[in-house]
Amino acid sequence: MPDFIETLRRRLLELGCPMAQVRRLVQEVADHREDLKQAALAEGLAEAEAEARANAQLGDPLALAEQMMATLRRASWWGRHFIIGFGVLPLLAVPVLWVLLFFLELALIFALGYGWDLKKLPRADNSIAIHHLQVAVVCAHYIAVAVLTFCFCWLARRAVVNFKWAVIACTICSLYASFSKGTITPHSFQVGLCWTPDWIVTAIPFLIAGAIYFFQRRTRQRFLEKVAD
Amino acid sequence: MKKTNPSFLNGVPELLVLRLLACREMYGYQIVEEIRAQTREALSFGEGCIYPYLHYLEAEKQVSSRRREVEGRSRNYYKLTVRGRKRLDELTTEWKRVTTGVALLMEGQHA
Repeated sequence: MPDFIETLRRRLLELGCPMAQVRRLVQEVADHREDLKQAALAEGLAEAEAEARANAQLGDPLALAEQMMATLRRASWWGRHFIIGFGVLPLLAVPVLWVLLFFLELALIFALGYGWDLKKLPRADNSIAIHHLQVAVVCAHYIAVAVLTFCFCWLARRAVVNFKWAVIACTICSLYASFSKGTITPHSFQVGLCWTPDWIVTAIPFLIAGAIYFFQRRTRQRFLEKVAD
Repeated sequence: MKKTNPSFLNGVPELLVLRLLACREMYGYQIVEEIRAQTREALSFGEGCIYPYLHYLEAEKQVSSRRREVEGRSRNYYKLTVRGRKRLDELTTEWKRVTTGVALLMEGQHA
């Protein structure tokens, strides 16, 4: 029969519980199990019987893991309202993305020494300066999308919701990001929609989600190997 | 709480845990046992299910925890914080308001 604690640990990890949380929960359940066993021993039960009773009181480790995850999910707003959080809020995050992008551009212009006077922006004949600014604006757009995507993945992880919700949020971010654009031209800069998708920015949310997924999988695998040793 | 506890008890676990921790520092097993004993088994947490709940309260800064060794056993002990005490006061006031209302209605039905 597989060890109760080991089964619980595996199931929690399979359900996407963060590593630090798994360590703590498993440690505390192990302590709890020991307390139940000691109570049974104090009642005069034999070692094996006490252990069996402690396991019976804790119930099925798989069901316990599910209950624990449900409690963890209920504990956060994102866990309770995952449809709104990961299915609807990314739609509203687009204006936020645009505002973020707008301020990034402003900060960039300010940092490059042009102050707040748009008339001081490079003249059309200074193509190198314009090119540099355009590259910087595009990078700011990419960074804004990446930050937004990372936030949704992190929130999904923290709220211990199924990873598919992070993917849904990433898909929405990707669709919007691919059709939104920030451009800079002499004497002006614009943030808005465009009909030609930018495939790089479309891919960014999926790349981030994929990287996080594989990183988590690898960390989980290593953790299980370490525990098994 | 156990599945058998009706849904109108939502929020009660928080009140019970905070109330118990207001008296003294306790660990998970102790809290489960105390709830069972003090409510004469009317209410009980599923064994092990209290921990995610305690972690939530800790994340909300209503309780704090520390690893402590007592009589050769090392366990996580939880205690109430200032924020937890405020929350307990709010929940207690709310609970009294609800129970008074329900009691009045029940008395009215018997009359």
